[in-house]
Amino acid sequence: MKRLMKGAVLVAVVVVASAQAASAQSIFSGAGLGYPVGSEDGRARALGGVGIGLMGADVSPSDPAALALLVAPTAIVTSQPSWVTFDQTETGESGSFQNTRFPMVGVAYPAWKLGMMSVTFGSVFDQRFEARRDAAADLSGGAVDATDTFVSEGGSSRLNLSVGRMVSPNVAVGLTVGRYSGRIVRRLVRELDSLAVDNSVQPFQSGGLWSYSGTSVTGGVSLQFSDIGRVAGSVTWSGDLNAEASEDTPGRDGSYAIPLHIRVGGSALLAPGLMLAAGYSSADWSGTAADVVGGVGQATNNFGVGIELTRAALLGRSTPLRLGYRSADLPFGFDGTTPTETAFTAGMGIVLNEQAGIVLASMDIGLERGERKDSTLAERFWRATLTLRVAGF
Amino acid sequence: MAVGVMACGRETPTSVNDGLFPDEPITVEVRLTWDEFASGLEVLGGYGSPLDLGRGILANGFGGTLSARTLAAMDTVPRSASVRDTTGTTRSDSVLTFLGGRLVATFDTLSSTNTGPVTLLMGTVDQEFHPRTVTWDHAVDTINDRREWVEPGASPWVPLATAVWDPGASDSTWFELDSAALAPLVKKGEFGPGVRIDILSEGDRLEIQNLVLRVNTRPSINPDTIIPVTVNRRGLTFIYNPAPSPSTDAVRIGGAPAWRTILNLNVPLQLNGPESLCEAVGCPVPLSAERLNYAALLLHSRASEEGFQPSDTVGLDARPVLAPEALPKAPLGNSLIGTLGRRVPPSAFGSAPGAEVEIPVTAFLQDQLRGETSSGGVPPTTLALLSVFEPVSIAYATFYGPGGPLGPVLKLVVTAGKTVELP
Repeated sequence: MKRLMKGAVLVAVVVVASAQAASAQSIFSGAGLGYPVGSEDGRARALGGVGIGLMGADVSPSDPAALALLVAPTAIVTSQPSWVTFDQTETGESGSFQNTRFPMVGVAYPAWKLGMMSVTFGSVFDQRFEARRDAAADLSGGAVDATDTFVSEGGSSRLNLSVGRMVSPNVAVGLTVGRYSGRIVRRLVRELDSLAVDNSVQPFQSGGLWSYSGTSVTGGVSLQFSDIGRVAGSVTWSGDLNAEASEDTPGRDGSYAIPLHIRVGGSALLAPGLMLAAGYSSADWSGTAADVVGGVGQATNNFGVGIELTRAALLGRSTPLRLGYRSADLPFGFDGTTPTETAFTAGMGIVLNEQAGIVLASMDIGLERGERKDSTLAERFWRATLTLRVAGF
Repeated sequence: MAVGVMACGRETPTSVNDGLFPDEPITVEVRLTWDEFASGLEVLGGYGSPLDLGRGILANGFGGTLSARTLAAMDTVPRSASVRDTTGTTRSDSVLTFLGGRLVATFDTLSSTNTGPVTLLMGTVDQEFHPRTVTWDHAVDTINDRREWVEPGASPWVPLATAVWDPGASDSTWFELDSAALAPLVKKGEFGPGVRIDILSEGDRLEIQNLVLRVNTRPSINPDTIIPVTVNRRGLTFIYNPAPSPSTDAVRIGGAPAWRTILNLNVPLQLNGPESLCEAVGCPVPLSAERLNYAALLLHSRASEEGFQPSDTVGLDARPVLAPEALPKAPLGNSLIGTLGRRVPPSAFGSAPGAEVEIPVTAFLQDQLRGETSSGGVPPTTLALLSVFEPVSIAYATFYGPGGPLGPVLKLVVTAGKTVELP
């Protein structure tokens, strides 16, 4: 029990740290419910990013059956810096930004006779962005320049409790119960040109704060084919994502229908030391369109494929190398557009400590070079995903 | 992890894409007439004393009417001094012979109106006066003690010496006093001498910054030596005539003693114009603290009575009256404008009246719209317009009062837009 408490404290500390460091990574964060944030770790990212059905154990709320393969308590934290440049053809605007976020933190622990249990916390939709435009105010002295700034901060996240269990030597099942949380602050600020008006003129501010809530359930199953392959699938059902306005927020509450999310994936050894992984996921967000301003939402089909050279080594330590590619539709776009994201991926794993065949500490690094675009906006990005995994505490 | 740390600088994605914005708000200026926002204008006088200025004023027919005299209450002249005798030992000598002296006056050249030489006359006043309450008619005007001058204007007096001050040559002048002229100043008595200074030249107003009386003495224990002794001053003040007539139709701020203007401000809770605002968000538009970006009382300057027109920049202040029922001695809240106040050139109250002066009252009205102050108290509705320091000058600022085309106006800058909603 003491060790369980220790694990819980570790998770709490990491969750707090991640909440402070969360940041946005795309202008598409301003479309619909925002930019979807995957909870894939460094290995899954390097292998094309769908993150289900990979050989080996994993702590992932979207592949709860993979939990059953864990043999020791494990804590995981993922960090994801990205560097983005963008061009907007309509406005001729271009620029760049960078940020780091922590898409998922979690801890897994044996759950008595139930199997393996995990608690994870991660982002679902990133809604952080800022927009500026020039405006004018008609005052008695004539037109006065003004600047409008619209700031959206926060997004939705989810706290997940997962259980994974082997039901036969080759079959594992898992269940995740998630609770949506997070909040969003939306604020419009208008500032008049301080050179044209008295400097005591105050900026106009309007906006509010909403807190998210809702429930999701994910069921998963995986089949293990000896040591040469694994296939897995999961389905996530979510109730409505509710956004409740704070007491002093003049805006209305909101409720968004979240579609069923289906994922399948598998991995197989093609030859000794060479693994192929592929995955696919789908969700139809067009039903959510009715709930968002602008009514833009589309069915998304995401797939990823990758290979892993499992026998590579560096300085005598196992250092698997990975290459991949993935393509994803973004659920929300601007003005009826259907944005997509594609990326070539690469990465490696580093085993830091291994005892009696059990990896006690490891790091996975995934690097993506990709593009997100719709008919008017194109973002090119470098994104690194670093996952530190510690086991056996 | 090093890569992660390296990229920890957070930059929010920023775009100029119009599609990211909620509906555009509208910013308009609204001007309300007196009846729409204010009531109960009242001008109150008598705040502070000319003594608080620590300065003297001289005038003789300034503006055709104003006469002002400077009065200085001096300490008794010292009767002893430490003197070194012929053997080199320092001893106290209480047998001093007063040989003469000089009264040195330093002027505020910016506030003084003369550009050429003026002639001044100084003398002594025998009648005891109370520096804080002395006026043209009364030497003492304290509680249970009201004594008039024998003759109004600090008279009778004994003129002792004249001096000429040329502002082009120096910022000071002095009255030379021989032993005969000095005698009335050094005579023994319970109180020190009262010094009165008049200006003989007509048409100017002078401001004395400092006044120092130095007396030359010859000690008995070392008669070959002359020792200067400085006489301390208990107070430097002034009296003037005529007093400004009470204001009935104007806003008056400043003077010595100072005037304040009190008014009640009641901001409307909704607006029914202008047209552009109604078109954008529909009228009536509820006015809230968040929508009110700026509020200012617009006043139009008016020439003050000629004798009391400012000769230097005037600093105007506005403060909430915290307990109006206690007026004229009601406590005031913090300044709505700041330490220096709203600076207005003196010409606005003399040669160039009609200047528009903005007194910001944004925070005052925002509290009213919120229904409470930032500390949770009941927001005041009564406002006091006053000078930054009280008193700061014999001159005062005047503005047109309600009722005319140049009467006070409330200027509001309001931004309104549709409520920011969820995406």
